Amino acid sequence: MTASQAVAVLLEDRLVTFTRAVGLIRRRNLPVSSLAVGPTTTPGISRLTLMIDSDSSTADRAVQHLQKMVGVRAAIAFAPSEGVTRELALVKLRAPHDRFAELLDVAQLYQASIVDESPESVILELSGSEAFVLSCLRALERFEIIEVARSGTVALGSGTDLQSGTTP
Amino acid sequence: MGVDSHQSSVASRQSPTVTGSQILCRALLEQGVDVLFGYPGGAIMPFYHALPEYPQLRHILVRHEQAAAHAADGYARASGRPGVCVATSGPGATNLVTGLATAHMDSAPLVAITGQVSRSMLGRDAFQETDIIGITQPITKHNRLVEDVEELADAVREAFQVAQEGRPGPVLLDVPKDVQNQRGVWTGGQAVRRSGGQFVRHRTDRPTALEQAARLIADAQRPLIMAGHGILLADAYAELRALAERTGIPVITTLLGISGFPASHPLHLGMPGMHGEVHVNRAIQQADLIIGLGLRFDDRVTGNLASFARGARIIHVELDASEIGKNVPVAVGIHGDVRVVLQQLLQLVARRDCDGWREEIETFRHSREEHFRGGLSPEVILDSISRTTGRCTIVSDVGQHQMWVAKLYPYQHANSHITSGGLGTMGFAVPAAMGVALARPDEPVWAISGDGGFQMNMQEIATMVQEGIPVKMAVFNNGYLGMVRQWQQFFHERRYSATPIWSPDYVRLAQAYGIAGWRVDHSDQLEECVQAAVAEPGPSLIEFTIEQEANVFPMIPPGGSLSEPIEGDPAPLVPA
Repeated sequence: MTASQAVAVLLEDRLVTFTRAVGLIRRRNLPVSSLAVGPTTTPGISRLTLMIDSDSSTADRAVQHLQKMVGVRAAIAFAPSEGVTRELALVKLRAPHDRFAELLDVAQLYQASIVDESPESVILELSGSEAFVLSCLRALERFEIIEVARSGTVALGSGTDLQSGTTP
Repeated sequence: MGVDSHQSSVASRQSPTVTGSQILCRALLEQGVDVLFGYPGGAIMPFYHALPEYPQLRHILVRHEQAAAHAADGYARASGRPGVCVATSGPGATNLVTGLATAHMDSAPLVAITGQVSRSMLGRDAFQETDIIGITQPITKHNRLVEDVEELADAVREAFQVAQEGRPGPVLLDVPKDVQNQRGVWTGGQAVRRSGGQFVRHRTDRPTALEQAARLIADAQRPLIMAGHGILLADAYAELRALAERTGIPVITTLLGISGFPASHPLHLGMPGMHGEVHVNRAIQQADLIIGLGLRFDDRVTGNLASFARGARIIHVELDASEIGKNVPVAVGIHGDVRVVLQQLLQLVARRDCDGWREEIETFRHSREEHFRGGLSPEVILDSISRTTGRCTIVSDVGQHQMWVAKLYPYQHANSHITSGGLGTMGFAVPAAMGVALARPDEPVWAISGDGGFQMNMQEIATMVQEGIPVKMAVFNNGYLGMVRQWQQFFHERRYSATPIWSPDYVRLAQAYGIAGWRVDHSDQLEECVQAAVAEPGPSLIEFTIEQEANVFPMIPPGGSLSEPIEGDPAPLVPA
């Protein structure tokens, strides 16, 4: 069965290590739908999260390849249902003055907040699973969306602890 | 030398008094390096400036950097220790690429050192600047730009450790010219600081897996052992032989597993796959258990995966966990060093025999599968080389002769067959044989090539002459790029597009290089010339004129099933 799998990697926060990890996934021809990287609580270590449209054995193999890499401290794969996946989106849009209340209704429904306001546009911030974010974006299409910035998905497994290197 | 005699006082003083290049040389010596293959150039000149201070490091000046990488590869495969190659930045570094990819595919431990433009010039498209780190990322096990002299010794130690541990492979260090000149402190004997990269992880489920494997081995009616390169890399010859002899299970050796098990052993079946013997492939297709030891079930071995060994359960023992289950589904996967796993498995496996199954396999055998039309056949040549030379190492190139050398030569000694398997690099044999000859100075080394592959790196004869490397070269000359021509004959309407290839007069070529050379056209000249070539103290060359359109049989068509071999020439095309 093909579904999305989350692959989370702790690696040295050097560009060369990041490109090597991403290059490895590219070389293995794996379908990556999302990629996010950010700092961790450990200085010098980044967390890379890849969403791969594949079965779990393919994702597990990607983890085995990543674990062999110098600069990778730990790697793990899990289904989104085995943890929490979230992404952040910033949405800049224009809403006519007379429809501002309607915009606030949509924002409230998706627990999005207005984080910036200018005479021409507003910026909404929202977060949730990829499906949730896409659903919200669809709901916002009735307004004039000017630009969207999405962070890509980050994920945490509920039962496994990547930081301590415990992998299934 | 004088510089080294001050080593301890240098280390104890605070003032840095050695250059990065001297640190590089000392770190190589610390790793036990005795020979390096390289080619100087602008960005590596500080290293070459320091090199004469360290006469224990023998430098072999190749004629092309690709040869340096192949020679280091040959040295590594023959000695079991990392081979070292050195090149300058830009074209020097990019010329290493094919050799690195070859070593990467065949798990050979290599350390490549490249010069790089100075740090202040990095990223500015400077003269002879190339992003060799970016270029070699997918074909090295690890690579690293050394950004400060303080990292240099550690980078070398890490490179040697990474190249050798777990599944071996090539590591590249890119050293900017100003780092080679930068002064720093040399402190010998330091431990390696490493970051991540778990190459050997021991799984807690191994006892269960071993018991399952032993049970499958006890219950199987038609078991086979498929032995790969891992047997050679893990030095598991004795363990493999013990398992085979205790259980009577026939042994198949893959292209890189050849010489992992004696060819003359009654349990040895031969090579599987695209050019495997009919009885070997048929045994695979009839087997109910395949014990895969240190191999990766490559597509040249399995043919069409959907029809590969459909009746067999597979036990896969492999050092690289990511290989287990990659190509074929396994019943039992055991992650670990093949030798260690076999030692554990031998404690659980009971004595049995497979006499009925072996008799059945014998009925699959054909009397003679090659179809040579008399004259000077590869079979006769290889027989002569084997009888005349005795114990030696055979390094083959890529193509038809490679398959003949794999199938027809009687390998008796461990690790006596070296070839480019995974990448299939034409031009490999001649330079790789130089590395083998330096690693094994006491035994003859043959480089056997076709006329195509030989011409790709024949410039290295000059290296052999200059450095006194006594490689025996055999060129199987059929006037074609034979394997491609064979495919054209079988699958491309016999359209010999760009496969006829002209050769120089190899005897006169040998003379031009100042070495002994012979041409053998008939079998009656064979013994005399092979004996003379072997007796020659330096490098020597024999050109063997073989049948122009000889083919390698049997052959599984690309993507085809192991059950459907081509066993003879296709019918001649009838003109319309």
